Amino acid sequence: MKKASIYHYIFAILLVVFFLGPVIYIIMSAFKSQSELFSSTPTFFPKAISFDNFADSFSRGSFLTYIGNSFIVAISSTALAVVINTMSGYALAKFRFKGDKIIMMVILSTIMLPLEVIMVPIFSVLKTLGMYNSLLALIIPAAATPTGIFLMRQYLVTIPDDIIQSARIDGASEWKIFTRIIVPNAKPAIATLAIFSFMWRWNDYIWPLIAISSPRKYTLQLAIANMSGQYGSNYGTILATSAISMVPMLVVFLIFQKQFVQGTVNSGMKG
Amino acid sequence: MKNEKQSFKAYKMKQKVIPYLFLTPNLLIFSIFIILPALIGLYYSFTDVNLFHMNEFSLIGFQNYVRLFKDAEFLAALWNTVKLVVVSVPIIFVSAMAIAMLIVQPLRAKGFYRATYYWPVMISAIVVGIIWNWILGGSFGLFNTFITKLGFAESDTLINPNFAWWSIVLAIVWSRTGYYMIIFMAALLSIPESLYEASDMDGANKVQKFRFITYPSLRAARLMVFILVTMEVFKTYPIVVKLTAGGPSNATTYTVQYIYETAFSTTYDVGYASAMSMILLLFVTILTAANFFLNKGGTD
Repeated sequence: MKKASIYHYIFAILLVVFFLGPVIYIIMSAFKSQSELFSSTPTFFPKAISFDNFADSFSRGSFLTYIGNSFIVAISSTALAVVINTMSGYALAKFRFKGDKIIMMVILSTIMLPLEVIMVPIFSVLKTLGMYNSLLALIIPAAATPTGIFLMRQYLVTIPDDIIQSARIDGASEWKIFTRIIVPNAKPAIATLAIFSFMWRWNDYIWPLIAISSPRKYTLQLAIANMSGQYGSNYGTILATSAISMVPMLVVFLIFQKQFVQGTVNSGMKG
Repeated sequence: MKNEKQSFKAYKMKQKVIPYLFLTPNLLIFSIFIILPALIGLYYSFTDVNLFHMNEFSLIGFQNYVRLFKDAEFLAALWNTVKLVVVSVPIIFVSAMAIAMLIVQPLRAKGFYRATYYWPVMISAIVVGIIWNWILGGSFGLFNTFITKLGFAESDTLINPNFAWWSIVLAIVWSRTGYYMIIFMAALLSIPESLYEASDMDGANKVQKFRFITYPSLRAARLMVFILVTMEVFKTYPIVVKLTAGGPSNATTYTVQYIYETAFSTTYDVGYASAMSMILLLFVTILTAANFFLNKGGTD
């Protein structure tokens, strides 16, 4: 077995500084007092740890509302995405039917229509349906993702047909086959889809920007984006809120690192 | 006997309906929230519909499109986007491939490095903007403190259009390289070790190994990363919001922001903004078509 050279380690560590340094600096800055934040000789680490910015974050009445909204949206949209994308993936992986090629094409073509391209008419659709300015507008439309369907289909193709056929012969209903055989067998793919969906929804900015108008419905991202004062006196609060907003993703990442790698490879492969 | 035949027929019928039932929720959402809006957008692009008069408008033919090609601000935003793509895509592409090659070396604590480089991928674009704004902005920011300590003159950083423009490139590269690194990493790990062993016997050096084994083996991954990054950079907007807000003086205003502002905050000209979206769609479609076309060539 070859060994890595010292140069490899030097590069690897420089890259750690580049990728991790900025994040640590923001977190450190969030722990600085107001006077230290705007000192003319900033230091990387706080001279004295202060919780003022975090206290200020929480004391702004709506902070918990924003966090709550973000959790409601991310969790319910992810649950919905897992159910409907697995259903579609199953239909496309294990059934032959009239129009299956056309449906596949339709799903493929939706990749070409990212939200950024249709955001203007989406607004009128949401208004017409009475979904504008409701969390439902962030939960339902975003749950159907072509990437999710492909991920599930690709995985479900590998489940042997025999298991499904023998369940049918035993008289199991199609829904029962789906819930008792397909879903348990698709667990790894479901986990991957779930964490990616959670990340997409948690970090999303464009959907809330278009669909939400009243601050009570803001998600955390929209709230942070709308916090005023680029260099204003409350920059410490913005830093603290940003730091808090990263925590859920950090936890999810530390637990599901393997699925992130797998998901990146798969979703990338399917574009 | 007759009964059994009937139930078999019923079973056959049921089997035909079932896949459609499984597909219904997804297709419903796609139709209402993607396909329908796309059609409405196309229709709007030929009208003078305004955000505050969504129900009374008239068809104006190609006027919006004609106007587009005379709109210096839109053309500037589009050109700015193209420049951003041309500059950031190769940087991300090369760094992702290089870092992937580093990460597959037999390093100790490999998992730690991989996780660290991937971490910025999971930070929202809004927060990425805040991070870099905080580091780069202001005379007392970390960046200015650092360069003045090294003896350089203080920089006007984000107030300088040129600096602001490059800061967007930096933020995009920082936050997205880890994602594509993983795709390259998977491709590198699937190259059979025997190829390298054979080339060792032939006395190949490192450059030759890269040129004749690694690079050709990454063909499919290269094409895919290239197209994915390009499409992504074309849609740049959220990362700009807290980093430069599109400024100074539109130096970092890209197409999506211009479309959004036209429809929702400056002139409320929904029809006109829809025409811009169609131009953006045209670019994305060409790229997606290229993706399918090239990927077919890549996996043969």
